[in-house]
Amino acid sequence: MNKKLLAILALLVAFMLFLAACNNEEEATPSEEPGTSEEGTEEGTEEGAESTEDLFPTVLENEGDAIEGGTLKVALVNDSPFQGIFSYTLYEDAYDADILSWSSNSLFKTDGDFLLTNDGIASIEVDGDNNKATITINQDTLWSDGEPLKAEDIVQPYLIIGHPDYAGVRYDADFQNIVGAVEYNAGEADTISGITIVDEKTVEIQFNKVSPAIYSGGDGLWTYAEPSHIVGDIPVAELLESEAVRVNPVTLGAFKFDRIVPGESVSFVRNENYWAGEAKLDGVVIQTVPSASAAKAMETGEYDLAMSFPTSAYENVKDLENITLLGREELYYSYLGFKLGKFNYDTNLVETDIEGSKMGDIELRKAMGYALDIEQVSEVFYFGLRERANSLIPPVFASFHDPSLEGYVYDPEMANQILDDAGYEDVDGDGLREDPNGEKLEIMLAAMSGDETQEQVINYYLQNWQEVGLDVQLATGRLIEFNTFYDKVQADDPEIDIFMGAWGTGTNPSPSGLYSETAVYNFSRYTSEELEGLLQAIDSVEALDADFRASKFREWQEYMHEVSAVIPMQFRYELLPINDRVKNYDFSYETDFDLIDIELTADAPVK
Amino acid sequence: MWKTVVRRFLVMIPQLFVLSLLIFIMAKFMPGDPFTGLITPETDPARVEQLRQAAGFYDPWYIQYINWMGNAFQGDFGRSYTFNQPVSTLIGARALNTFWLSLVSVGLLYLLAIPLGVLAGRYQDTILDKSIVFYSFIVYAIPTFVLGLISVFFFGYELGWFPTSGTVSIGADPGTFGYVLSKIYHLLLPAMVFAVLGTTGVIQYLRTEIIDSKTMDYVRTARAKGIPNNKVYSRHIFRNSLLPIAAFLGFTITNLLGGSIFIETIFGYQGMGQLFVQAINGRDYSVITTLVLLFGFLTLLGSLLSDIIMSIVDPRIRID
Repeated sequence: MNKKLLAILALLVAFMLFLAACNNEEEATPSEEPGTSEEGTEEGTEEGAESTEDLFPTVLENEGDAIEGGTLKVALVNDSPFQGIFSYTLYEDAYDADILSWSSNSLFKTDGDFLLTNDGIASIEVDGDNNKATITINQDTLWSDGEPLKAEDIVQPYLIIGHPDYAGVRYDADFQNIVGAVEYNAGEADTISGITIVDEKTVEIQFNKVSPAIYSGGDGLWTYAEPSHIVGDIPVAELLESEAVRVNPVTLGAFKFDRIVPGESVSFVRNENYWAGEAKLDGVVIQTVPSASAAKAMETGEYDLAMSFPTSAYENVKDLENITLLGREELYYSYLGFKLGKFNYDTNLVETDIEGSKMGDIELRKAMGYALDIEQVSEVFYFGLRERANSLIPPVFASFHDPSLEGYVYDPEMANQILDDAGYEDVDGDGLREDPNGEKLEIMLAAMSGDETQEQVINYYLQNWQEVGLDVQLATGRLIEFNTFYDKVQADDPEIDIFMGAWGTGTNPSPSGLYSETAVYNFSRYTSEELEGLLQAIDSVEALDADFRASKFREWQEYMHEVSAVIPMQFRYELLPINDRVKNYDFSYETDFDLIDIELTADAPVK
Repeated sequence: MWKTVVRRFLVMIPQLFVLSLLIFIMAKFMPGDPFTGLITPETDPARVEQLRQAAGFYDPWYIQYINWMGNAFQGDFGRSYTFNQPVSTLIGARALNTFWLSLVSVGLLYLLAIPLGVLAGRYQDTILDKSIVFYSFIVYAIPTFVLGLISVFFFGYELGWFPTSGTVSIGADPGTFGYVLSKIYHLLLPAMVFAVLGTTGVIQYLRTEIIDSKTMDYVRTARAKGIPNNKVYSRHIFRNSLLPIAAFLGFTITNLLGGSIFIETIFGYQGMGQLFVQAINGRDYSVITTLVLLFGFLTLLGSLLSDIIMSIVDPRIRID
């Protein structure tokens, strides 16, 4: 009897120890954060920003001796299978794009502002007076199957996107800017009349209008080629299911597709026909890795580098000795929007109604901006991988972003002061301010649901507002699921006074799509003559002059700061953990780095 | 019996019809649609509207339903918006993965649980029995994702015994023996986790049944006839104790296609569970409705199968 009891007790103790061990591991991280962060936040953001830049190099340094060839093992962190549409013209999933980046069909190289340059396979010449662009192939270039690249391959994507059977989002207002695109789409013409093949290597495109956006790949210009000798014979309706897209894509990139396991993994081999030379690696293998084990996979040397690595796993990889963390700022900002009107779906125009909106008072909006302790949130909840945004243009666009703008630095006294001056006083003594007319002021916030961090962050913001005496409540009573959120925000649901959204901006910095009077995505529904003027100036023909455009961008950012219809909240970083056996890698946007330069210094990833 | 089977199949038709109707309406009630997630500053709202029109999202729900039903009868379940693939292709690939994973899991589950249950029942109240019961409760208490993560971290990454993600290695040539081996190798670890987690029910049922049977008259008779103890257990008690497990066998078989979102996500294994959740999040109507219909059909089929199996193993039961 005693023995049995002992045995059971021993088992129990062992089990409890095991549980305790699990607990320790899980709880150690979050409890540490508040301590470390409280010291470093008060000093303001400039320092924070600098230190993050120091934390994350963009260029990998490895002086080791390279081995001959070798295969790079890439983890694509994703909790669901990738779609597997390997065509720049047709893909929709960001993970497909990540995979395609190893085998790019891009005709042009881009500079730090993502503007097209003439150093790639082709060069572009824009004739602003005649609304015309000429694309010329710079040199003899071969597809990965050995066929030469020709003018037809540049035209092919237009014939796909404009086709009546094409059912994607790319046949848009921009695309219709090409002369003859609408007629082609309606089935009235066999080709797009505005696109002419001048000779084997030259294509001329006639637009209805040309703006500086064309250098960002806008205005309808398409910057990738499609192998017309292969996809040209496949009906557009069947293209998505075709082998040319899903099984055996032909490309212009440094690597070419070798094998594909749908949704799971892709292997590439060196493309001998690559225009800029042959890759030093023999090949690349990309495998989807669940986010829960991404950090562990890097730690145990299962992979050489991890694409779309979750920043929430930063704490688990930052101290690893076998990897280097590269980091860069993302094309992203999150923002606080104030509903100041409605979108009229009949006229397709934004109708701003400052007087009739609960958030119509600019002083109230400004105070709400100053009351948010975004600096603290960035440090504590996001380990410094986010920073307070000062403007509505991500700093990645160095020529357009305005670093001199202060933005809304956390300043509760100022917020209190503004509210006091504007007549928001606590009349009934419940600790919350009433509006200048002495009536209860309850502001409804719509916020998207996400991970647990998101919930804590939103609660913290609500608390921030309460500290300056503002009663902000969650619309619908809780965080709102992504689809529902945008449904409500876009429909100008009367339940919503303010909302917290985010944009991945893409490489075209033009703000027209998000803030013009015709934009459905202008969710705050704010427009004014001055704003329209600035937006038009940014995309005007005069703005083909880079300095003029940059100055208009600055003016626009300052104007947006002044009217505070939308308050920028956070920019964020993206991380690329990379194993120490990799040599030559550059994560920055503006770079001459080419995938062919990557080398390895050992036969297997360092553990 | 065949009459009953046919009758049950006929009853399924209105049941499935009602189910499909309910699901279709509820799916449409969900805010947003497949295009909501596609919006970036560069997408053209007019084009998105055009695509919505083309997809028929502005038709009244009953028109949409009739269209969908009509096509479904011809074997065309529509296109998945989030995967840009015909639904049948999409589900086909996933269903096969899930089926093999579940089959191996269930096999391992019985292989593990039946001996444990029998031993616990036979040696009731010994240290062996107590350990088995203790084990089964621990396993019952561990959440799926915890055991999944621990095993992938330990056996996958630390020890390197098993692959950590995917259903097959990229180097394997489809159609070769190596390809099949690679598939089996990839599903072993998730299947084991699945099996270990499922043991509790089987162990407890078996144990209780065996303990109950021990005092039954037919056991006493068998012993009185001088049948050796081992044979009493293997022939008389064991067979009768399996009845409650046989009762669930039908459901177990049809559940093979259900999949498990946790296991599939942790092991990066493309299966039905994950597909279902993804379809809901992405408002992929055609996939949601097809999957629910399939699951509904399988559940009905499972209950029918269970009845048939019971009537075979237990002659006292007649299903006519």
